[in-house]
Amino acid sequence: MSGSGLGISAPRVGGSERVTGAQSFAADIAIEDVLHVALVHLDCGHAAIEEIDTSGAVGIEGVIRVFTAKDLPDPVPRFGPRFADRPVIATVETKYHGEPLAAVVAVSKEAAAEGAAAVQVRHKELPGVYSIDDALDPESPLVVDPALRSGDDPLAGSNVRQRWDWGWGDVDSTEADVVIEETYTFPMVTHFSIEPHAFAAAPEGNGIAVWSSIQHPYFLQGTLASLLDLPISKVRVHAPDPGGGFGGKGFPKYEPLVTMIALELGRPVRLVLTLEETFQAVRRTNARLQLRTGFTRDGRLVFIDAIEDFMMGAYADIAPRVISKSSYFAAGPYKVGAVRAVVRGLMSHTTPSTAFRGFGAPQMTWGIESQMDAAARALKIDPVDIRLVNLARPGEEIVPGDRPADGDWRQALNIAAEKVGWGEPLLPGHGRGISVGLKASATAGASYCILRILHDGSVSLIAGTSDMGQGARTILTQLVSENLGVPMERVTLVMGDTAVVPFDYSTSASRSTVFMGSAVVDACQKAIADLRDKAADQHHVSVEDVVFTPGQVSVDGAVYTLPEVLNDVFGAVPGEIIVTGSQRGEGDANHPLGGAASFYEVSCTASEVSVDLETGDFELVKHITVADVGRAINPQHVEMQDEGAAVMGLGHTLMEHLILDEHGRIVNLGALDYRIPTFKDMPSTMESVLVENGDGPGPGGAKGSGEGGLLATSPAIAAALSEATGVVIKDLPLTPERVWQAMHGGDEGREQ
Amino acid sequence: MSPIESAITLTVNGSRRTVRVSPSTTLLEMVRSRLELTGAKECCAEGECGACTMILDDEPVNSCLVLAVETDGSEITTIEGIGAAGMTPLQESFLATGAIQCGFCIPGMVVAATALLERIPRPTEPEVREGLSGNLCRCGGYKRICAAVMAAAGGAGAP
Amino acid sequence: MTWFEYHRPQSVGEASDLLRMDDAVALAGGTDLLVAVRHRAVRPALVVDLKSVTDIADGIEVERDRLRIGGHVVMNRLTRDEHVNRHFPVLAEAAAVVGSVQIRNRATLAGNLCNASPAADTAPALLAYGATVIASGPDAPRSIPVEEFFTGPGTTVLGRGEIVTAVEIPIPPTVLGSAFARVTRRRGVDLASVSLACTLDVSGRARFGFGAVGPTPLLAQSTRDELATDDGWSRLLAVTSPITDVRAGAEYRRAMLHVHSRRAFQAASEELRAAT
Repeated sequence: MSGSGLGISAPRVGGSERVTGAQSFAADIAIEDVLHVALVHLDCGHAAIEEIDTSGAVGIEGVIRVFTAKDLPDPVPRFGPRFADRPVIATVETKYHGEPLAAVVAVSKEAAAEGAAAVQVRHKELPGVYSIDDALDPESPLVVDPALRSGDDPLAGSNVRQRWDWGWGDVDSTEADVVIEETYTFPMVTHFSIEPHAFAAAPEGNGIAVWSSIQHPYFLQGTLASLLDLPISKVRVHAPDPGGGFGGKGFPKYEPLVTMIALELGRPVRLVLTLEETFQAVRRTNARLQLRTGFTRDGRLVFIDAIEDFMMGAYADIAPRVISKSSYFAAGPYKVGAVRAVVRGLMSHTTPSTAFRGFGAPQMTWGIESQMDAAARALKIDPVDIRLVNLARPGEEIVPGDRPADGDWRQALNIAAEKVGWGEPLLPGHGRGISVGLKASATAGASYCILRILHDGSVSLIAGTSDMGQGARTILTQLVSENLGVPMERVTLVMGDTAVVPFDYSTSASRSTVFMGSAVVDACQKAIADLRDKAADQHHVSVEDVVFTPGQVSVDGAVYTLPEVLNDVFGAVPGEIIVTGSQRGEGDANHPLGGAASFYEVSCTASEVSVDLETGDFELVKHITVADVGRAINPQHVEMQDEGAAVMGLGHTLMEHLILDEHGRIVNLGALDYRIPTFKDMPSTMESVLVENGDGPGPGGAKGSGEGGLLATSPAIAAALSEATGVVIKDLPLTPERVWQAMHGGDEGREQ
Repeated sequence: MSPIESAITLTVNGSRRTVRVSPSTTLLEMVRSRLELTGAKECCAEGECGACTMILDDEPVNSCLVLAVETDGSEITTIEGIGAAGMTPLQESFLATGAIQCGFCIPGMVVAATALLERIPRPTEPEVREGLSGNLCRCGGYKRICAAVMAAAGGAGAP
Repeated sequence: MTWFEYHRPQSVGEASDLLRMDDAVALAGGTDLLVAVRHRAVRPALVVDLKSVTDIADGIEVERDRLRIGGHVVMNRLTRDEHVNRHFPVLAEAAAVVGSVQIRNRATLAGNLCNASPAADTAPALLAYGATVIASGPDAPRSIPVEEFFTGPGTTVLGRGEIVTAVEIPIPPTVLGSAFARVTRRRGVDLASVSLACTLDVSGRARFGFGAVGPTPLLAQSTRDELATDDGWSRLLAVTSPITDVRAGAEYRRAMLHVHSRRAFQAASEELRAAT
């Protein structure tokens, strides 16, 4: 294997298992005598359950049992990362298309599916809240049972679950030469990981073992311990590397149900969702942003006045955090003297929205950046120049009193402009757009790891980050290799088992290189210190006379390799160096977000399109993303993530949206009619550029990355289309039909 | 009504196997659960994503849309059969090019790309995109997967 | 998957008998049937696999003045066949966009027709070329012009137990200009929101096949002189009735029909001019 230092594109750890088909994902793991679960759900959004007739199912050969709410404690246990609102299974109502109300357990997947189809549910469809307007309408039914909302909640009689008021300065007394007032919408889209969620559980000792495609195993562990009234130490979560997560596998969904079934039956059970069920289980929070943005004649941003509505879904999941964290940065990466943002998190009878790469920032950036382009057009200022005027410089505040800008964002913008050929003459029907997006990283959290230097000098690193494609295994292995001077192929990484691996807060928020990376570096330094102590003892010298450089130790003029030193130290009786490393961010209880962001992830997108003006169809000629990453520990890994994020951004920009009918049913449920980008949808030229100024808090000055590439995709392409066609579109996705409608059609109504 | 099983005999990765299957079992289900070869994946189960791609009688197919009983007397190659005697140049190329992220789509990609290179040993980039257009990657690795196939083929435009 | 029985008959007669049993369905490539079964849109008791039926033709043969495409022929075979590419390039083009390479290795032309989706990709080309469907069953074999084959979304004139054994297309006696167009939501594999094929011969006769803009694929005929007028275009497109569905809106479909029909006609005209 090649070099191990930082900034080296070392080959992916775990790559050969994946390319040969040997990698075991959650649905691949052999579990002896496992039973299979299939879910029962209704074909509409909101319904009252009147009677569940399981007799047809139970009679099918191979079906063992059908579980309903009757088999669970009463009142039904509830859970959720913000509010404990989600029932383990639906009881008297279903609140979203796909909410399970029964689970069939059988000896085979086929029998379970047959059983599920045979369960008859007498139900009555109820009026549902399926759009932002529905949610705001005081006449609409309440999605959340009022008994579940606290008595002193002033919003309890509405579908507004939470409201935030952000702001500084005085918007009303701020003068502006031009005020741009527009409304933008961002649709419901779903994660569509190629691996559908998979869950299994089996009684283990007087506790439980759980397998899940989960991104945050420790959070799941805590939730299950609480629901089952077990000590955390009796809940073991196996977390195989997920086949894509993107936030959709972050928080518990059907693990509680599967676990309770396993405990009830005393046998292992497994549930693998169909792709359609994953669309029903997870999505991004959709939004409507009503923005009034004030500018001076020379393009300076002076105020933002916003009403922002985010539609969360039937249960809050982590959506309140998505909303608060993104809307708090009401001006994105820009400096502005006055902001007033009224932000509402709305309940609806739809799939609960959850974390999704970007965590609210793509939605916010769509609004903020579209306004910047509108101002550029109104003031006849170049879109690059108007951004250069307003971007915060390093050290300048964006939200007063909070972490200032921690990157040279102008540099990223200028690189993007240069790469896309900004200012060069355009062919007819062509247009260019450029955009900057900002997302705040983790504000608090903790990562722990255990590092063992074994007595032959090989290393075992035990760390709970989840590798779902971003290459965490490689990065952490590189850090050990770099710091200890041990070749990568002699480092083994143990992940994915809460019984063995110490606590990690989460794999999210692009935090792992910074948090777990720092914990790993901490562990390496402690290991080195311990080794030096032991070597000093062994040689009867003081520890100052023991000098460690990666891969070797010099004592008393003599130089030893790591294995030689260890052999010395553990000569007669074997042993190992074993230390823990940690990195904690305690956050700040007084901060509205629980703490300042540890860093900002900023990315710039520039795009050139070529439009067929008669049909609205368009091609992406060039697509550039520039990511401000601090330091790329593995440049190839960072670039591939950035390109991947760009492609995902193309998805919600060009073609993805969940379509609901008047019954709250997802109409385009499945791969046939929910379109994501394919090989043939790629831009003619796509390039990812990394800016490395060493200005991040992680090892080597690293920041996190992996989310930036999709923050600013939509406004960049919309601006390019606008230049090419003269029309301005404020809703996504920018399908050929929508572009044609904007240019030629009548008004066929807005989607939400 | 319950399934009536029958025995089928087919060649899997070069070995003759006899398996009992019910008529409604798909080739994908048989390979994954009866033969315990879990490399091929289930995602959409309706021929839209390519994660289940296998080679059936020399042609790449979506194994979720083939009934196991249809393969009596046939030859199939799964990802486990490719590189069984050591990684192929294509597989090495995937690793070298950084084409692998979460890895879930990769077995299907490798099988489809292997079949493509059998048919067109030196494809152009559009031919690679067309040949793999039935394989979805949500991690968005298309650019590098394409580059990996081109590099393995030594084709025009390989980096 | 719903449970069913499976049979593999060796002859058309045997297959026909089996298909006349209750809840029996025919299986060719499986790329439509297995999806329908998975969604429980079809719940067969018996699946009749046609792939071993020896008296369904296997290949693509020129027989005097026509090309005969056997019922077993899969899309990829069609796209790569020299006769199809020479005489019916638009059919080769259409077959090449049916799904992905994996789908095209299994999906048959006969199956595409029998599935009778209004958006069937190969139908517009077959209509423009004046193809005929050859069916065999309990009664004598018959030839059905493609424009009479479809009766509604998912339905054809075939009776119970009747099987498509071949598709025949007359080889054009004089040179033809032809073109194909398709509107989709993404450049990747997709069903058509609008599809069309047109042919133009030296005497100025134009034939258009349309897909996804009516309850069945549709044929419309005109002449070069008529299509020199706006009225001519209106009359041509009057046969279509696009609707709004999950894939596209009616207004957009109507507009795309106009734009792409004209462009296709233009392309066909140029091709004809270049060849004569």
